[in-house]
Amino acid sequence: MATDTDTARIEGFGEVSRVRGIIFEYLSLGASVLGIFALAVLLVYVTIDAFDLAGTSPLWLLTYFVTLVVPFLAFCLYSARDREVTRRAVTVAGGGLVAVAAVFTAIETFVGQIPRLNWQLAYLFVVVAPLTGYLVYMGARGRPGAVGFGLVGRLIGGAAIGLAFSVLFLVFDERLWFLAYTLGIVPGLFAYAYGQLRNSSTAVTAALPVSLVGVVLAVFVRDVLRTYPTTTFIYLWTLAIPIAAAGALVVNARGSRTAALAAGGVPLALAAVVGLFGRAIGLGVGGPNALLVIALAGVPVAVYLHRVFDVGEGVTGLGLPVLLVGGALAGALVVETFGIPTPNSWVSGTFLTEAPSRNARDAGLYPAIVGSVIIIAMVAVLSFVLGVATSVFLEEYTADSGVVGALTRLLQINIANLAAVPSVVYGLLGLGLFANLLGFGFGTAVTVSLTLSLLILPITIISAQEAIRSVPDDLRRGSDAMGATRWQTTKNVVLPEAFPGILTGTILALGRAIGETAPLIMVGAATTVFSAPSSLFSKFSAMPMQIYAWANFPQAEFRYGVVAAGVITLLTILVGMNGTAILLRNRAERGS
Amino acid sequence: MSNTESETQTETEASDSLITTDVETGSNGRSAPSNRTAVAARDLNVFYGDEQAIDDVTMEIPENRVTALIGPSGCGKSTFLRTINRMNDMIEVCRVEGDVEFGGKNVYDDDVDPVALRRKIGMVFQKPNPFPKSIRDNVAYGLKIQGFDGDVDERVEESLKGAALWDEVKDQLDSSGLDLSGGQQQRLCIARAIAPDPEVILMDEPTSALDPVAASKIEDLIDDLAEEYTVIIVTHNMQQAARISDRTAVFLTGGRLVEYDDTTKIFEDPEEQRVEDYITGKFG
Repeated sequence: MATDTDTARIEGFGEVSRVRGIIFEYLSLGASVLGIFALAVLLVYVTIDAFDLAGTSPLWLLTYFVTLVVPFLAFCLYSARDREVTRRAVTVAGGGLVAVAAVFTAIETFVGQIPRLNWQLAYLFVVVAPLTGYLVYMGARGRPGAVGFGLVGRLIGGAAIGLAFSVLFLVFDERLWFLAYTLGIVPGLFAYAYGQLRNSSTAVTAALPVSLVGVVLAVFVRDVLRTYPTTTFIYLWTLAIPIAAAGALVVNARGSRTAALAAGGVPLALAAVVGLFGRAIGLGVGGPNALLVIALAGVPVAVYLHRVFDVGEGVTGLGLPVLLVGGALAGALVVETFGIPTPNSWVSGTFLTEAPSRNARDAGLYPAIVGSVIIIAMVAVLSFVLGVATSVFLEEYTADSGVVGALTRLLQINIANLAAVPSVVYGLLGLGLFANLLGFGFGTAVTVSLTLSLLILPITIISAQEAIRSVPDDLRRGSDAMGATRWQTTKNVVLPEAFPGILTGTILALGRAIGETAPLIMVGAATTVFSAPSSLFSKFSAMPMQIYAWANFPQAEFRYGVVAAGVITLLTILVGMNGTAILLRNRAERGS
Repeated sequence: MSNTESETQTETEASDSLITTDVETGSNGRSAPSNRTAVAARDLNVFYGDEQAIDDVTMEIPENRVTALIGPSGCGKSTFLRTINRMNDMIEVCRVEGDVEFGGKNVYDDDVDPVALRRKIGMVFQKPNPFPKSIRDNVAYGLKIQGFDGDVDERVEESLKGAALWDEVKDQLDSSGLDLSGGQQQRLCIARAIAPDPEVILMDEPTSALDPVAASKIEDLIDDLAEEYTVIIVTHNMQQAARISDRTAVFLTGGRLVEYDDTTKIFEDPEEQRVEDYITGKFG
């Protein structure tokens, strides 16, 4: 009897329809897959055009696949140390080869020609690229992989920052920087360090005014003083030495004094020797930029090496750069020996270092890259400072009620509306306000940067406000109850906690600024300039402008090859910049 | 006194009568109440907009004693606590009439800087709210913002010892304060509050978000703190008030101070019938 009633009860539950939920789920899945697929196809074709992969001989691809890609994948597998992952990787690589070849041939035979793609390339893009991504992810979880990627990341990142610095010094007066650093920053730092060491709060408080006075003094001295050390010495004194000292301090904090000396000293010595004497002793490289790159890549690498050896895990991962360079060299050697035709890639050393030209093969992006880097640096600083200041004021300092509260709300609504104003309108504003009224000139870096800063300011403000608002009120009250002033609470509790969120918003906004073309056209930025800008008020171009100009050229070589190369360069710089910022943010999130 | 034991004991009896429990009251080994006053309220009225939160309260809180404020929710005891260090200033609709004297001075006088005032009065909140910084930086926070010139590390160690947390965290001073358990976090907040050496410590239901074991540790700690500081604690837990406080103030609805006396007196023989009803759980 009991069982009977039980079944009766269970039958009585009935069913609840989930049809709409399931339809919704698959529709959203389909939409996102469609979006990603469209983007992937676009990127694949841009890559093929930029590197001229369509005309590449399969042998060339095979050579580098064997010397570079396979060892790298093997390294990832070694690091992951997981039988299951290895099995999966081998299955996908092998099975994928057969499947792609079969499907590709079938489509070519029965449906029609697929333009600028052969089955080898299809295999690379459809199977090898995702597999590499997966294995990098899995490999980074093992110690050797983490160490190897950390090392390569520091090498590339340091070098990139060094190059960015050298680009910035094209327009910023390094002699003024030298004076400001020597007269302002160094004394200020000494006062601060002395205060910390001797527990003297007067010295610590004096540090900032001392620096400011020194910087102001530097501006005056700049006009008076006539002789200066060479640029190489200036970089050595103002950038390489402090970076090396910072690295040494980091290592010293972990323990060893000798290691600290080595970590700071060795890269510094190397940078100094190459920078000062590199050309003279026939190294082929030298000068201020080499010094910057070596110092900025060398010091983080040295500090990292010390940590890796200190921890003693995953030391084998340090071989990754050797593996990569060795693989590339071996590939080049094989190609050379057997006379395999190399692809005529549009992205090349000359493309990155030469000025634009009428001839597609000689065309370069250098002045536009420099322009973009300078503009982005200025926009980042301007919009970050203004955005954070505005959002802190709106969130922490204004009252919620009364007249002030109403004004705040009005301001708030207007900022939200400004975020929706088309960029052409901002271009007009920049033209009228900065170029004409304030006389910063048409299409100069200052005008362009100010216009772009205004353009992304609403986005920065709104996201920074969001981040500040998400800091729990408990923390503010806790700090207030300790007798902190509002400024102390903001500086010590709210901003550190909101910083990752603020950074995220700024990164997204900067991504928009770097790709803008319309406001640049409005303020009169040049589509093409033939030499890198030498001051903030010289004629500027930016990467999107140059790419836009090329896209209108009559020759097909420009429209397919050079434009694609420009897009790849733009994307690489954008992704690199965002990646660095995201890494910094993650570190800040973990670290605080 | 062994807190864990009395905790279990009283918890089982909580439902019947509190008055008849054999909880020791006011048993802190401190002799007769000090006659020096740390904080005094005179004719204090507090309004939130049109609503009156505190109704004409006058009371004197003795120095170096634990004073408990009890009463049903919304009776104004937390509001009263926040008037002492002017944390109510943060609430825009809040209006205060009357005097709150601290160190012989009305804290609502025009020449009193609330920020300076709060540096002399520590506060511990209901929910542990350590900053997302290292344990060391949490404790040193007050010292840092006040521009403390002495040996910070020494003061951090002293404060952590004072908050009975030193032995548990001495090897991880650089790890985040958020990695600690709830009870440890609250003790960290206490260490943070006592580091700048305030005169009074205000506690707003400091154990209500903690488990009984952690709560009993905090109670022991409050006992020790009263040696050096004046402690004013808001609590919903009647046994807690009975166990740790020397003086108890009972607030009832409408923000009226109904009875204020030695804890023993309040819990054993209250003057007012309403107070007896409240602490025996007949209403509230």
